Amino acid sequence: MNNEHCDLLIDYLNGTLSDEETRQFEEHLKTCDECREIADATGQLPYLSEPAVPPAGMKSRILSNVFAEDVATDSSSTSSASSAAAGATAGSKASSSSHAESESSDRKPRDEVEEEKVMQMTQPIRKRVWWTPAIAAVLLVSLLGNAYAFMQLQQEQADPAPAPTQPETAFQSIDLQPSEGFDGDATAAVIEEQDGALNLVVTAEQLAVLEGEQVYQVWLIKGDTPIPAGAFTTNADGEGATYFNIDNNTEEWDTIAITLEPQPGNELPQGEIVLSAGL
Amino acid sequence: MEKSSDTLLYSRIKEKDKDALECLYDRYEKILFSFLYKMTQDRDLAEEALQEVFIKIWRGIGEYDDSKGKFTSWLFRMAQNSAIDLIRKRKVTVPIDEVAEMPSKDSSVEKTAEWQDEKEQIQAAVSQLSTEQQEMIQLFYFKGHTHEKIAEICGLPLGTVKSRIRLALSKLKKSLHGMQERGAIDE
Ligand SMILES: [Zn+2]
Repeated sequence: MNNEHCDLLIDYLNGTLSDEETRQFEEHLKTCDECREIADATGQLPYLSEPAVPPAGMKSRILSNVFAEDVATDSSSTSSASSAAAGATAGSKASSSSHAESESSDRKPRDEVEEEKVMQMTQPIRKRVWWTPAIAAVLLVSLLGNAYAFMQLQQEQADPAPAPTQPETAFQSIDLQPSEGFDGDATAAVIEEQDGALNLVVTAEQLAVLEGEQVYQVWLIKGDTPIPAGAFTTNADGEGATYFNIDNNTEEWDTIAITLEPQPGNELPQGEIVLSAGL
Repeated sequence: MEKSSDTLLYSRIKEKDKDALECLYDRYEKILFSFLYKMTQDRDLAEEALQEVFIKIWRGIGEYDDSKGKFTSWLFRMAQNSAIDLIRKRKVTVPIDEVAEMPSKDSSVEKTAEWQDEKEQIQAAVSQLSTEQQEMIQLFYFKGHTHEKIAEICGLPLGTVKSRIRLALSKLKKSLHGMQERGAIDE
């Protein structure tokens, strides 16, 4: 039972084997009950974890990145082809310079614009993960050259003319100001995804680090009525972001605010306003 | 959690069924994120590791079949490996004084995990290990340290570290089996 393969169990569990060694060890697992049972018992250990609340919007970020990977490796996928075609059509309105500032080094001809979009969807995977769909969507919006009118964020949009030269100017964004006694910077923007979904993206930095279950909660406010519009936590550097679908909330809001809530999931604000902006 | 349908879901995922992937995601998001957060102590890294797991599943990297043991063990091992990759790549350092801390029963009174049953079982099994064995598992499994690193931390020869880890895991397995058998008799 205890042969030289069994000695590799610890290395296998620790992820230090090469791919080939892993494959060989998995062959060994088929025939060695002892190793397989230990591996299975180890697989119970994660249940010791204390429950942690996933960051807001994690699911949509991850799934869109997972499926974007797929599009990149299989360009014949029909759903991507049709939405990309729509993107290409709308993109004809945009100046080709609108995305020239993006980080992509290999420029492609205009008619391959959909392929480029796919590249951009997948490229930022290695970067800070919460930025990935936001960057992709922002680049896409700049590609379309037509940011969606929303929250009265864009008044000058009526004039469709000069195409933006910077991706950031291709969509409308607003800076939030810190309340007295608070630090931080935040920017809110509305972006349209390739499937037409509208998302409110809020990115913030230099915020105070959270304690316990605290979250930063974004609110869209009309008169006295706030609705929750995404929550986020910060990393060790006080940075955070949320990505919130607002398809069903296309009312005319007058204020956007970020509060510090004692716990996630509040339907009405309990905490103080950290940052806000009139719309 | 319906264990039997995991493999069914997985076979649909292999057919590129997006709904099946989403379903699997929903089923394991909480435990995977909690586990990855426990390992990395960083929400961004935990999310990144989780994303890696689902990209691998979707691409069919490291395919699962039941010769590899339980589906969850396989899934969690992929998650653990993703976290280890990130930890080692980014040289996330874990304070040494944290190492001895294994969750004890009373540390979780406030919160009831969705995986409470599994948690109680594994906690009971872990509690039968010596403190030193618990530490070994903590360093090896949750902190993702290499044997070399553990040898350095504990001031032990490499061979000793390896055999102690194996011994700790083997004992853990026996305790779990013992409980499962007793559980089966109770029912
Ligand atoms: Zn063996």
